[in-house]
Amino acid sequence: MIDPVTFQVVQSRLDGIVQEMQDSIFRTGYSTIIRESQDASCMLLDASGNVVGEHVVLPLHVSALPEVVRAVLRDFGDDINDGDAFITNHPYLAGVTHSMDMAVVTPVFNDGVLVAFCGSIAHKSDLGGVVPGTSYGAARELFQEGIQYPPVRYVAAGEVQRDIESIVRANSRTPDLVTGDIRGQIGVSRLGERRVRELFVKYGTATVLDAFAHMQDVTEARIRAILATWPDGTHEAASFVDTDGVRPDVRIRYHVRITKTGDRIHFDFTGCDDQAHGPVNIGPALARGCCYYALIAMVDPSLPNNAGVARVVEASFREGSVVNPRFPAPCCTYMAATTAVTEAMLVALSGFVPARRMAGNGGVGGLSITGKRTDGRAFVQYESIGSAYGGRATSDGVSGIAVLLSNTRCAPVEIVESEYPTRIRRFELVRDSGGAGKYRGGLAPRRVWEVLVDDAQLTLRGGKHDLPAVGIDGGADGALGSLVLNPGTPREKRLGSRFSGVKLMAGDLLQLEKAGGAGLGAPQARAFDAIVADVMDGYISRDAACADYGVERAALDAAVARLDAEHAEEAVNEGVPA
Amino acid sequence: MKQLRVAVDTGGTFTDFVVLDAASGAVEVFKVPSTRGVEADGIVAGLRGYLERTGAAGADVAFFSHGTTVGTNAILEENGARTGLLVTEGFRGIYEVGEQSRPYGATTYDLFFERPRPLVPARLTREVPERVLFDGSVLVELDEAATRGAIQELVARGVTSIAVTLLFSFRNPDHERRVGALIAEIAPHVNVSLSSDVAPQIREYYRLSTTVVNAYLNPKLEHYIDLLGERLTAAGCSAKQRYIMRSNGGVASFASAAKRSVQTILSGPAAGVVASCRLIAESGGFGNVVTFDMGGTSTDVALIEGGRPMRRGAGKVHGRDVLVPMLDIHTVAAGGGTIAFVDASGVLQVGPRSAGAQPGPVCYGRGGTEPTITDANLVLGVLAEESPLAGGTLRLDRAAAEEAIRVKIAEPLGLSVIAAARGIVEIVNVKMQEAIKVVSSNRGYDLRDFHLLAFGGAGPLHAAPIAEELGMRGVLVPAFPGVTSALGLLLSDVRHDYITSHLARIDTIDPASVRATFEALRAQGEAELVAEGFAADALRFEYSLDLRYVGQGYDLAVAVPEIPTSRDALHAARLAFDVEHQQLTGHAAPDELVEIVNYRMTAVAPVPHASIASPFTRATDLAAARLGERTTYVAGTEPAVTALYDRAKIPEGAEIVGPAILLQGDSTTVVGAGHRARVVALGQIEIRTGVHASTPAPELARA
Repeated sequence: MIDPVTFQVVQSRLDGIVQEMQDSIFRTGYSTIIRESQDASCMLLDASGNVVGEHVVLPLHVSALPEVVRAVLRDFGDDINDGDAFITNHPYLAGVTHSMDMAVVTPVFNDGVLVAFCGSIAHKSDLGGVVPGTSYGAARELFQEGIQYPPVRYVAAGEVQRDIESIVRANSRTPDLVTGDIRGQIGVSRLGERRVRELFVKYGTATVLDAFAHMQDVTEARIRAILATWPDGTHEAASFVDTDGVRPDVRIRYHVRITKTGDRIHFDFTGCDDQAHGPVNIGPALARGCCYYALIAMVDPSLPNNAGVARVVEASFREGSVVNPRFPAPCCTYMAATTAVTEAMLVALSGFVPARRMAGNGGVGGLSITGKRTDGRAFVQYESIGSAYGGRATSDGVSGIAVLLSNTRCAPVEIVESEYPTRIRRFELVRDSGGAGKYRGGLAPRRVWEVLVDDAQLTLRGGKHDLPAVGIDGGADGALGSLVLNPGTPREKRLGSRFSGVKLMAGDLLQLEKAGGAGLGAPQARAFDAIVADVMDGYISRDAACADYGVERAALDAAVARLDAEHAEEAVNEGVPA
Repeated sequence: MKQLRVAVDTGGTFTDFVVLDAASGAVEVFKVPSTRGVEADGIVAGLRGYLERTGAAGADVAFFSHGTTVGTNAILEENGARTGLLVTEGFRGIYEVGEQSRPYGATTYDLFFERPRPLVPARLTREVPERVLFDGSVLVELDEAATRGAIQELVARGVTSIAVTLLFSFRNPDHERRVGALIAEIAPHVNVSLSSDVAPQIREYYRLSTTVVNAYLNPKLEHYIDLLGERLTAAGCSAKQRYIMRSNGGVASFASAAKRSVQTILSGPAAGVVASCRLIAESGGFGNVVTFDMGGTSTDVALIEGGRPMRRGAGKVHGRDVLVPMLDIHTVAAGGGTIAFVDASGVLQVGPRSAGAQPGPVCYGRGGTEPTITDANLVLGVLAEESPLAGGTLRLDRAAAEEAIRVKIAEPLGLSVIAAARGIVEIVNVKMQEAIKVVSSNRGYDLRDFHLLAFGGAGPLHAAPIAEELGMRGVLVPAFPGVTSALGLLLSDVRHDYITSHLARIDTIDPASVRATFEALRAQGEAELVAEGFAADALRFEYSLDLRYVGQGYDLAVAVPEIPTSRDALHAARLAFDVEHQQLTGHAAPDELVEIVNYRMTAVAPVPHASIASPFTRATDLAAARLGERTTYVAGTEPAVTALYDRAKIPEGAEIVGPAILLQGDSTTVVGAGHRARVVALGQIEIRTGVHASTPAPELARA
């Protein structure tokens, strides 16, 4: 058994290695997706694919990469060699999040023995398919969601396989960005390999392998110890995605029934809807990833997301359901689906831990505008805009933020306009979009783009445009999201939350409002001072303060006027000339 | 008449002084307690005390240089100015959304995550109708009437400072400047920060955040500097040369520092790096070092190659994004006061929580109950009750430290007290090693070519085993490790950085336009320094280009020896970029196109520096330095008889083979078992470890 000091030393080293890989991938990324949005995660895994080092950027990447390693082991077995690199984007054959994400894994050998893997997952600008950007919100089968790469050897013993690279290049609208980013992913893997090998040399194979095993045991024991303190019982909840992208009027229901007995916990997903026609299906591996996320969030956010968590999670799925679809059901809109699954779980779990209750969050998803520049070159502009947290048991929801499983950065206006033929007209929080409550939901952002070229195409993978974030304990729902073409003009047109290939002409305006977070607790219980502050900051309108929170107009106006006057007076007292 | 050069570095617990008499070369080093919130009081009290003690007069002070924490503290405590913000109409979300992501790591899972509070609330944000495009052209002219109204509203709400960030102002600053002029006209008492002045770079959120921090700090820093100036004058100090250290490692006059307060937030740590650069430049043979400044709550590390520090143009300081030139200092939240504990999973953890200065480690006897690194060092005998800290002012309680480690660490883990203390130190040392790698091997530098330059109260305690583990050439400990940052204040030049952003391919841009851009920056720098009283012909200028592969996100600064005037000169810069890229990332793409992102120019006005000759009297006999011995656990869990020496009396050339402990008032240096220590140039100690300990010492320049 490894001693406690060496154990912590090895863990600190692994943390250092992953952070180095993570820094490097952002620094060397070519696409705006990696370098501005930071949609990329690096990890270290043991020789059977259990995560042993992560610095979480996107939690679902952490649960997908073990599946990738297992797929590589399954397909290549003994034929995995030093200096190889494997790629795959396959949701079914390799458990990748969706086929816009390319996973790269490389083996680490010490003394000729396979001891670990280094890997990364990063969103790609385009991997072919029906629409530029690959993510096809109306896909009816996997084959419409870009080219599917099963685990293949991209680099053999240090040599890039030109035939594979040619296939990848030939199947992308942006071949340079794709191979540039893959080159960066391989580079960080090599970095990780070098440092992991040093670790094995320094501490000895047996010690490091012991540490790998021990960290999983420690995590499992910690979760079970906490579970044992929860009351036994069963809680269930459902959450919805407003459309599958193919049938506009059909809501998709994700249901979970959680039973906790002693130090065990079981997630029953058999109550989910049948698999959807559109791409809001996810595989069991991703649904399990949601379980890991929700469990860590409820037990202790500082826990590492390693195989110890996976060992605790027992789950059942029904074949042919939206969380266990039959190949080749489409699945590229995974973020909306996994967010719904996670939200249902958080609600159900808060039945066990009321102190960690949280109202519904705003919508997730990304938007892409694609087409040709005036000089004929193709462009794929992909942006992921955050939304808002719901009210929490002790605080308001955060505004304008990537929620739950999503965690990408916002592309700067000045970068977007310098690199793409679009112009951003507005970027602001939407007043009154946070659901009223004792703890108010966060406000969602609004972004408005003007398209500067003809014949561009718009794709949206949005969420909560028809069904809002749901308030709890008397809190109000959050505002709905929307995408409106040419708002306030005779050509105004409201589009759905999930679509592809809408044609745009120069001068068209797109207004995206994300859905706001929901409130927690009765709005009447909100502190008057907090309401006044929100009015002063423009987060809620005076009308909403009166109508939703039951505040008297005269009292509100007086409080605002008094505070404004006090500030002016303070300034004078501080010696500032009037 | 004396010629005093006074350096004062304010820290959380102590204010450090280094006073050099330029006439006699005498150096005096001392510490006084810091007076948080009224820092000028502590400084002036310390100075008066010195003058009284030495019989010097205030008029003898010819030069005053200061490292301040006023800016840093105002950010941490959120007590800066009531600040307003003006943004382009429709874009108030830039500040409210920020980066949009949550910090990576555990925060990702934290449903109760909170952002740092905005320094300007939305109620003090106003929009002005205007719009500039990416090429600098104007789509919507500035609406002056509306702008006046917005300014009046903010002023009516009591703001004392206004930040202005308009889109693409780094490309075309006309609208921002006009807004600034309107503020000056309407409310001349209000402090103005324009993003096109403070951080003229692409990426609006980071530029805005920097400008807001500047506006938030300016009135406070201005007030502090004014007050300090008055108090110094009142104390009889008539020095005209009064400087503040900035994050870029240069000093600025009191007046210019007050206008760019955002540039002072790493004032203290920067001074430590400057001191390190000069120390190694003047001692010869040690061109490459990693600095290791370990204090009570945090440790700063920085890489210096060939005597030059690494620099960067952006960073997050206390949760705030700032785009300002700074020395590339990596901070890790671990120091002597860092707390060790057994977590809920039964795993031994060290940090990041710290007992700080209050209550401090258990052994300080000020109410601390959780064992810290300092407690572990005391239990291991590296520190001792009979050798109090901070110049004898701080007594240590070993029994209390031992008890805390026994109850909180050793017993829960089933370890002996010594093994537990050893473990705590080993874990923190590994964290330090990882931090050192961040600035060195992670960027392609080979640590075998570097010394670890250890200072700060705790640096020399930990440095030797860390350097050994990393395979570094050895450790260097400066003469006064506890006040190295203050010393740096006497060794800095006045340094102003200028930048302009302008995207263009380096292979097709007209060299004349590059030249014009740089010359405009130089004219600006020259004008400002001449206005500060420096002779134009004494100034030095440095130039660099931020370059990137077309389509790549992050750019690298490539120094150019002079203003490039030809295609060849630009091509040379491009080739240098490939080399730099290879070094940093492990790959380069010589066939890819390269573009210029930013032009940077630094104007330097040399200031006469302190001489840093060895402060110690030349001893000849090592035996005279020997203070005795004690039993310690410097290298493991087995007791080792360890020699004790008085650091100031160790003669040059003598070699000490560890285990040994070198004592001095401001720090303690540990020489591990089998390590070899000797005095080298400038009274520094060099410790050779690992394979380097068994090879003969190279001949080095003597003091």
